[in-house]
Amino acid sequence: MEIIKTQSLIKDYLLGKIKVRALAGIELSILSGEFVAIMGPSGSGKSTLMHIIGCLDSPSEGEYYLDGDLVSTLPKSALAGIRNRKIGFVFQSFNLLPHLNVLKNVELPLMYSGLSARKRKEKASQILDSVGLSDRLKHKPNELSGGQRQRVAIARAIVNDPSMLLADEPTGNLDSQAGGDILEIFNDLHKAGNTVIMVTHDSLVAERADRIIEIRDGLIYNGSLAK
Amino acid sequence: MALSLSESLQIGVTDIMMRKVRSLITVFGIILGVMCIMVVLAIINGMNKSTLSWMQERGGTNKVEVQRNWNYDFRQGGEATLTLAEMNQIRGQLPEAEAIGPIVSAWNSTLQYKGFSYSDQVIGVLPDHQKMENWYPDKGRFFNEFELRENANVIVLGSSVARDLFKSDDPLGESVMLKDQMLTVIGVMQEKYWENPGGGAFGGNALEYMNRQSFVPLSTMMNKIDAGSLIRSIQILAKSPEDALSIQKKLRPILLRIKNGRAVFRVSSAQETMQQMEQNSKIFSMIFIMIGLISLLVGGIVIMNIMLASIKERTREIGVRLAVGARRMDIFVQFMVQTVLITGLGGVFGIILGYAILDLVSGYLGMPMLAGVQMILVSLLVSVGVGLIFGIAPAVKASKLDPVIALRDE
Repeated sequence: MEIIKTQSLIKDYLLGKIKVRALAGIELSILSGEFVAIMGPSGSGKSTLMHIIGCLDSPSEGEYYLDGDLVSTLPKSALAGIRNRKIGFVFQSFNLLPHLNVLKNVELPLMYSGLSARKRKEKASQILDSVGLSDRLKHKPNELSGGQRQRVAIARAIVNDPSMLLADEPTGNLDSQAGGDILEIFNDLHKAGNTVIMVTHDSLVAERADRIIEIRDGLIYNGSLAK
Repeated sequence: MALSLSESLQIGVTDIMMRKVRSLITVFGIILGVMCIMVVLAIINGMNKSTLSWMQERGGTNKVEVQRNWNYDFRQGGEATLTLAEMNQIRGQLPEAEAIGPIVSAWNSTLQYKGFSYSDQVIGVLPDHQKMENWYPDKGRFFNEFELRENANVIVLGSSVARDLFKSDDPLGESVMLKDQMLTVIGVMQEKYWENPGGGAFGGNALEYMNRQSFVPLSTMMNKIDAGSLIRSIQILAKSPEDALSIQKKLRPILLRIKNGRAVFRVSSAQETMQQMEQNSKIFSMIFIMIGLISLLVGGIVIMNIMLASIKERTREIGVRLAVGARRMDIFVQFMVQTVLITGLGGVFGIILGYAILDLVSGYLGMPMLAGVQMILVSLLVSVGVGLIFGIAPAVKASKLDPVIALRDE
């Protein structure tokens, strides 16, 4: 089953008065349960693509189906709900809220989906346990190592059982040891049936995926379709 | 899906606790504004209450007074005096009056009894005087209409007069000398007392001067003791404050007619005076409330600016919240709640500080200042209102952030 399908996806930006085309007609299909890496040099449009796939942004033209639903025409208010339920983000710089402890950070998506405080706590601690951080619940992010922080971020991304995990250079700020651990977690999540989409420019990292999608100049150069 | 209010409150409290000093500085203007409004309202409230209780002690707000008109140019002729006959004419035209109290005073009248003497004010009045002042004899009785008509040689003493002149003796039935008249003491008035908030010439009792007065029938005063003396002032007691105003209106032409069109008398009423005082205190309070409102306005603008700056600082946080599923409304409510919490907290601090100041000031001035529950509610509502108004712009700005741009923010 296709979890992501795009047709002639186009995104234009205005840089001052000049129109810049970031995506020039993306045709992409990703199956449920796939582990894909999106690669490309900077400026190739891979970040823009990730933002649209992640429902943080809408395309200028073209269609994007998520779980079979057309989402490219949805209003921004509806996109917030989709981000909350269907998408888990992992960022290069972790993006944890510094004044909240580990548990509260992981509870954040659950809070916006309206879960009761008790259930939130239960679910968040369970997930944190599964990424090996059950002894760090009350710590603030700045009391953790980079690898630990990224594990908190992964816990936050998967706590709401999303349809897919979207990771943007998840190992970019980590040493190779910690980066390897994180990739191992992604691997485990993939094996457990999760869809993982990872944006990276590191070919060693990309090789862990089932499929590598290469983007250049706003177009898919290679790996457009599932094997 | 929406974030509940209690969740937003929790986020707000966490944010404020994280930035305690900044929150306190932010809210300084609100604290001052609320404090200012509360203190002023309490002072005015206290002033009105003490004026009212003074008026009531002095015979209430139903009084009308006729006195010499100091604005009249007496070189044009006329005297601000009334004869007994003119007085009776007025009395006949005011049947609706509860009591009429013309006064003829003899200052520095020396009363003598067995070698002791006492000098103060002796006043010729009608029996109505008791009702007039809501002041009755403690011992014995007041003189009646019959004694008035007969120019009887009777006198009613003030409590201080009786105490000083008779010591422990019973004054009733005794005779005192006033000038060449022998007067029989038939009564002693109740002691008058009204706590003077500022202390004063008579110590704590602002009404001690009344305890030093003695009363004789008006006719006795005008015909015998001080023959040829004339009435210089009249007090009239109406049944209600409204009646007092209508009597005041009616009296002016009556007096003009008696005095051949010369405005030698001024007619005033306690009700009118009260209204004037209320008017004055209204203006006074408006000025201070304006000052309070201006400081609230300035405080609100300061809060708005600090919140706007703090949103710039927290752009990434907003981006993260949007990414994990916060809707624009959630972000709007989060910042709105935070602003209102800060101003509300400022209101509470302002009320506490206001109370402390009231305590200090009222102790210093010896004046009662009353801060009512509704005043606290108003202060609180005003500070929450300021938060609601000045929180809108920052909250809108935060909720309008583009998630992609917000996440990119360093």
